[in-house]
Amino acid sequence: MSENQNQTPVVRCRDVSRTYQKDAIPVHALRSVDLDVHAGEFVSLAGPSGSGKSTLLNIIGGLDEFDGGSVQVDGVELDGLSPAALSALRLEKIGFVFQAYNLLPVLTAQENVEFILQLQGIDKQQRRERAAQALDNLGLGELGERRPGELSGGQQQRVAIARAIVTRPVLLVADEPTANLDSATTEELLVLMARLNSEQGMTIVTATHDPMVMSHAERQVHLSDGRIDRDG
Amino acid sequence: MPLKLILQLSARNLFRYPRRNGLLLLAIAFALAGATFTNALMRGWQYDMLDRAVENLVGHVKVQTEEYRDDPNMLHSFALPQGYQPEISGVAIAGWAPRINVPAVLLSERESRGVQLVGIDPQREDISFYADLNIVGENLSGTADGRIVLGQELARQLQTSVGRKVVVLAQGADGKNRERGFRVAGLFDAQAESLEKAVAFTGLATAQAYLGGSPQAGSEGLVTEISVLLADEPQRLEAVDSLGSEFPDKLVADWRTLQPQAAEMFALADMGIYIIFLFMMGGLAFGLVNTLIAAVMERVRELGMLRAIGMPRRVVLMQVVVESMLIMIVGIVLGLAAGILSVAALADGIDLSAFAEGIDAFGMSALLIPVLSTKDLVMFSSLSLLLGLVASIFPALRAVRITPLMAMNR
Ligand SMILES: Nc1ncnc2c1ncn2[C@@H]1O[C@H](COP(=O)(O)OP(=O)(O)OP(=O)(O)O)[C@@H](O)[C@H]1O
Ligand SMILES: [Mg+2]
Repeated sequence: MSENQNQTPVVRCRDVSRTYQKDAIPVHALRSVDLDVHAGEFVSLAGPSGSGKSTLLNIIGGLDEFDGGSVQVDGVELDGLSPAALSALRLEKIGFVFQAYNLLPVLTAQENVEFILQLQGIDKQQRRERAAQALDNLGLGELGERRPGELSGGQQQRVAIARAIVTRPVLLVADEPTANLDSATTEELLVLMARLNSEQGMTIVTATHDPMVMSHAERQVHLSDGRIDRDG
Repeated sequence: MPLKLILQLSARNLFRYPRRNGLLLLAIAFALAGATFTNALMRGWQYDMLDRAVENLVGHVKVQTEEYRDDPNMLHSFALPQGYQPEISGVAIAGWAPRINVPAVLLSERESRGVQLVGIDPQREDISFYADLNIVGENLSGTADGRIVLGQELARQLQTSVGRKVVVLAQGADGKNRERGFRVAGLFDAQAESLEKAVAFTGLATAQAYLGGSPQAGSEGLVTEISVLLADEPQRLEAVDSLGSEFPDKLVADWRTLQPQAAEMFALADMGIYIIFLFMMGGLAFGLVNTLIAAVMERVRELGMLRAIGMPRRVVLMQVVVESMLIMIVGIVLGLAAGILSVAALADGIDLSAFAEGIDAFGMSALLIPVLSTKDLVMFSSLSLLLGLVASIFPALRAVRITPLMAMNR
């Protein structure tokens, strides 16, 4: 997105490495990764299993540590942030959609979207409105009173997206959001995400094996053995 | 801290594992109901004991002469100051009574019996069992009443009855034996036969005239004791102090000193209550910790997700703590309700007369009336809440150690 190139990128990774110890053997999940994601981009991380997609996504999302380099989200350097500060940053700046277990089974869809606003200390009236609007936005206007157990897999993931965007994050992080869905539902969800990106300018980074997901993303970053070997 | 959210989540999570939480709730409620009920029985027994000890003319605090303790007779009486009124700053007095209490022999035409002759002001005896006695015939009309009231059993043994005369033999203040005839005004019926055999009442002024001779100036005559009943039993030691400085040459003692056996039983009952409760709570603590840990371990993914999207650790911690407290609160309410209802159902007392001989040894009445002590219930509830808090610490610490990545790597 050339018009965004001179602004501060939403994500700025420089020389990021991550090495895990597995049975005392070092596993290099990421090796010196450089990546910029600009506002309004829809980036898909691709690559074979074990290539480091989830690791990179987790680091960008402030969920995992990294042992070398620098990661900035919305201009904030993550290196050296305390766990509490990272937690606050996730709450305020990032929306998450995981493969599964996104929702609290004891809350209704509406409540699942609302409670994150409650964590942010937003008042009841506003919470109601914003959650209802987010659900509407994702075609779930009628289902607010249902609990996750009463929703299909695709509907549950849409509620998760509503929950992720209701806080108006600078970045939406989605690791294999469609892995548990059939192809028709996957397509639906992808159309929704693409619409969020194009209509509302939501910056999205997702990781997937799914060629269908890749086709919806405007920018594909291909990882292999912990390195970016193709971008664009 | 979003307390509303925490409460909402915790409350809903209670219904998530209905079987497990239901069983735990039942156990807590059962323990509290049991504690409430046994406590009411023990308190009932204890108060009955206290009442009997205190009402057996002891009162909460008593003033006597030193010598009277070892040799209770008229020689060791003392002069009651004119217009005397016990006044103790900061201590409310429920009532007080001056008395003469000396050994005497009662003679009828046919029999003789040794008793305690007690000279009383009947208007003042609302502090002792005297006021509750069922009297056949007439009560003493006042302190100058020259008649006598006997126990029914004593009258039976003396083969006398209301309206007949008995002769009383006792040692006077001068050490000489004196003799006086008394007409029987009435016969009292006490639940304990031993009491019916042991005491006979007459007017205090009558007893003073009979045993003490003419009163000295500035005195209301001789008495052997002043008995004081307080509004609050726990203030007895302050009362002992205050009366002690008022009567420096007298022996001032509380009922626990005067009736050491009853006092010991009283303390034993106190301890028994706490021990029973602690045992019940100890068992519950295990159940509670286990249930909470299971609940945390089953929700690792969910808690990890919550941490991932930015729920602060302290909110996760509070969620587990509040969940534990909620279970406890519901259990406490149910348990107390069940306990109080079962006590209410037995409010008329439990008839133990079938075991009358056995229980007499324990200093009990034939009718055990359970007593609910608000103070005890408050203590049970707050200790249970404290337990809920303590039991949640370990599971809560486990919950906050869950990281977002733990949730995803499963
Ligand atoms: N917590 C961990 N401990 C040890 N090794 C790990 C850990 N997390 C990831 N790895 C290793 O790091 C490498 C990269 O893993 P990652 O999950 O990022 O791959 P991925 O591209 O997301 O794979 P997939 O497509 O299967 O999800 C793998 O070799 C993996 O085994
Ligand atoms: Mg992955």
